[in-house]
Amino acid sequence: MPNNKKILALSLGGLLLAGSVQAQENKLYLFNWTEYMDPEIIEAFEARYDVEVVQNYFNSLPEMFAKLNAGGVSQYDIIVPSNYFVPRLIQTGLVQKLDKSKLENLDNIMAQFQDPAFDPGAEYTVPYQWGTTGIVYNTETFPEAPKSWSLMFDPKANPEHPFALMGDGQVSMGGACAYLGHGYDCTDMNAWKEAARLLIETKGRETFSGFTDGTPALQQLARGVTHVGLSYNGDYLFFKEEDPDSFATLDFMIPDEGAEMWVDSMLIPSEAPNPDMAHKFIDFILEAEVGAQLSNYNYYASPNAAATPYLDEVLTKPPVQPSEADMERLRFTPSLEGDALQTFQQLWSEVQSR
Amino acid sequence: MAYNGVMPSARSRAMVREARHLLFTVAPGAIWIVIFLVLPGAYLMGVAFMTNGPYGLPEMPLSLASFERLAGFGFLGWSPGNLYTLLRSLWQTAVSTGLVVLVAYPIAYYITTCREKWRPIMLLLVVVPSWTNQVIRTFGWMNLLAPGTPLSGLAEGLGLIAPNMGLYPSNFAVTLGLVYNFLPFMVLPLYAAFEKLDTAQVEAAQDLFASPVRAFWHAVFPQTLPGLLAGIVLVAIPAFGMYVIPELLGGGKGMMLGNLVATQFSGGANWPLGAAGAILMLIATFIGLFAMRRIGKRLGGGEEVVI
Amino acid sequence: MRKRTLKRGLTAFWWATLAFLYLPLAVVVLFSFNAANSAASFTGVSLRWYYQLMGNEAILSAFANSLVLAITSSVIALVIGCLIGYGMYRHRHRKLGWLIVLIYLPIVLPDIVFGISEMAFFVQIHRLTGLLQPGLGTMIIAHVTFQIPFVALIIYSRFVGLDPTLFEAAKDLYASPFKRVVHFMLPTIKPALISAFFLSFTLSVDDFVISFFTAGPESATLPIYIWGAIKKGVSPEINAIATLMIGAVAIAAIMSLLFSRRRHA
Repeated sequence: MPNNKKILALSLGGLLLAGSVQAQENKLYLFNWTEYMDPEIIEAFEARYDVEVVQNYFNSLPEMFAKLNAGGVSQYDIIVPSNYFVPRLIQTGLVQKLDKSKLENLDNIMAQFQDPAFDPGAEYTVPYQWGTTGIVYNTETFPEAPKSWSLMFDPKANPEHPFALMGDGQVSMGGACAYLGHGYDCTDMNAWKEAARLLIETKGRETFSGFTDGTPALQQLARGVTHVGLSYNGDYLFFKEEDPDSFATLDFMIPDEGAEMWVDSMLIPSEAPNPDMAHKFIDFILEAEVGAQLSNYNYYASPNAAATPYLDEVLTKPPVQPSEADMERLRFTPSLEGDALQTFQQLWSEVQSR
Repeated sequence: MAYNGVMPSARSRAMVREARHLLFTVAPGAIWIVIFLVLPGAYLMGVAFMTNGPYGLPEMPLSLASFERLAGFGFLGWSPGNLYTLLRSLWQTAVSTGLVVLVAYPIAYYITTCREKWRPIMLLLVVVPSWTNQVIRTFGWMNLLAPGTPLSGLAEGLGLIAPNMGLYPSNFAVTLGLVYNFLPFMVLPLYAAFEKLDTAQVEAAQDLFASPVRAFWHAVFPQTLPGLLAGIVLVAIPAFGMYVIPELLGGGKGMMLGNLVATQFSGGANWPLGAAGAILMLIATFIGLFAMRRIGKRLGGGEEVVI
Repeated sequence: MRKRTLKRGLTAFWWATLAFLYLPLAVVVLFSFNAANSAASFTGVSLRWYYQLMGNEAILSAFANSLVLAITSSVIALVIGCLIGYGMYRHRHRKLGWLIVLIYLPIVLPDIVFGISEMAFFVQIHRLTGLLQPGLGTMIIAHVTFQIPFVALIIYSRFVGLDPTLFEAAKDLYASPFKRVVHFMLPTIKPALISAFFLSFTLSVDDFVISFFTAGPESATLPIYIWGAIKKGVSPEINAIATLMIGAVAIAAIMSLLFSRRRHA
């Protein structure tokens, strides 16, 4: 019997050890949105630096933030969040400052992305791609669809077809705010309350299908589960290219009341196992041709000025580059903190649980 | 006792040996469970009494704020969202457990009426679907109930659902998913109870009572009660804490307590609130267990209910 | 007369229930061979989703992780659970109430509470000591924790079902405790060992919630991969993976049937 116990103690010790020495030198852990990276870029990077890139994916920013808090902060080398989650990542100490001496290609970034409001001085972030969140709808169901959020929020505009809102509360709430005339980027308490009431009402309608993240919303639309949904311009084009038949009757639209524009950036978690390789990766993405290849693959606009000559033509027109009129209506999702964040989360959890 | 023949002088030595034996056999597992379940559970309970930090992580000082939030009090005064979630969980648990009983009871009985060599195969047929992962089983229902599928078309034709809508996502889909998931857990204990059924007693009851309903109620039902209660425990407790099924089949309208708790950790919102929700779930679970034990003891004629 | 109608009704109900139990799985299998990307219409037979699976490294590693997790955790749980099961039997006359509570705890605890407590605890321990980084190691620990009780209870009930004089006989027969374990104890409880291992394995494969909360970047199991794919919205590929898993379960079912047949014969 004592022998058994020794074996047990040994195996237990082994387990603990196995858990602790997982991250290895020659690996790079990338935590990215789904369908957001060209596999060939990964292969090229692996070949150049003789590393293995391990990719993990998230579908929404709250999910990404939760994963970092649940131990991910020491397990990923690069994360690719959107603008409005950057300040809270910095304030919670989940990310580290970039060592700009290791980033030779920083100058390739377009001037308007060099000093973003969400990260003054760009101390933590390097832009990855930018895009918009708009309404995708079925043109057969809605041949004369208004360019408006009413497709979701007005039962008269869409009386009998299933629709989905976005799983990320801030985007759904922003849409409701915009529809009510308070602007997509509202943060006023009363406007929020009104928006939350609208969302609860909307949820109660028979045709409400659920809260869906941006990428799966497109699959639902393609399969006819919903007829209106919220998604991203690049994902829309990407899947349209993959499955032209199903997407022939789907269109992307920026509602006139205003919608979201976002910038996704690359950041390094504060306890990243391999920060050196992470810098190499960021610099690699900043290379002119790699940056162009990335955008050509996933149909998002590039913040990389040097990449412009190599970009496909489709990337120079809507919906990738919004029309000037649309551009004026696009807003960043506000970055929340303190009481505003707490209030928002209470409102949102109320919306979810009703 | 097994050690009757031990000499009195050697007794104390034997006792030490026995104690050591107990330690060697039981300690590894007990320590394992204490370190990897009791301590984590205690830590989680501690988290419930901490303050929610600015970005959802627990912080000092200790406070009861997350319980207030759970009860519905927040910045905006009282709101019923969490109460809805709790009631929905209770309702879904009750309805699905009831339906599972209604299906499992005749099935378990039917198996005992079949020839003995078929019974293991029949039981296996009932159990096998539960060997696949619950995510896969639920995914199967997503496919079956989506808009445009034959079942949805049928429901639409009968006027049960609005046009263009599928049976999924909906609260109905959640109930169905729960029934599907837990049916085997009810069939097995009920089958065991039916197999032990004292047929002499049943025949006597048939002579005694004119109607078969009364004969069933007085002779059959009490004998299957321990199995039924065990089944209810095996179904209702996990159903109450279910996360996967409402998440996949509920589509934003079917949030249950398990989802409320999980979102606080996987959606990065509020650890202390999630921990408080977990405590509520535990309390409900233990009340349920306790009640079942009491009912079992009172009605089961002293026969101990499993678990 | 009435009895026969009852029997007929029950037979019909039995087949209807079987249809209910197997319909969702059948649909998954059927649509894994669908040529079109649709859950509503079947346009033709094709293996394209299976071809897509084959080159997918993530799925292969998820499959390997599932297997390693299930086997390793079941083996550890078998050793620890056996010891407890035997200890409970040997000392069943003592008051072991605390032990019973401890053993039932993992069984009655809702999955979600189980998963998040371990996650929160592991994160805290990792922050303090650097040990228990989320990954296959923490998943194995979590799985062993919920497997131990089932193993212990199966082994315990096997011992209880034995004739106590057997132990006395074995004591006379084999002098060393080691020999007693190898030549008497293990052979006697072999069927219980097999079913305990099998149950542990099944529990591990069936679990999603606890794995989900204790997993790390490289330890996704098949259910976690499928969950991610559902959340991402890619359907036909999931049908194909799920079909492979259903196939494995079907094989296991047939094997267990043959095994029990042989035992009865």
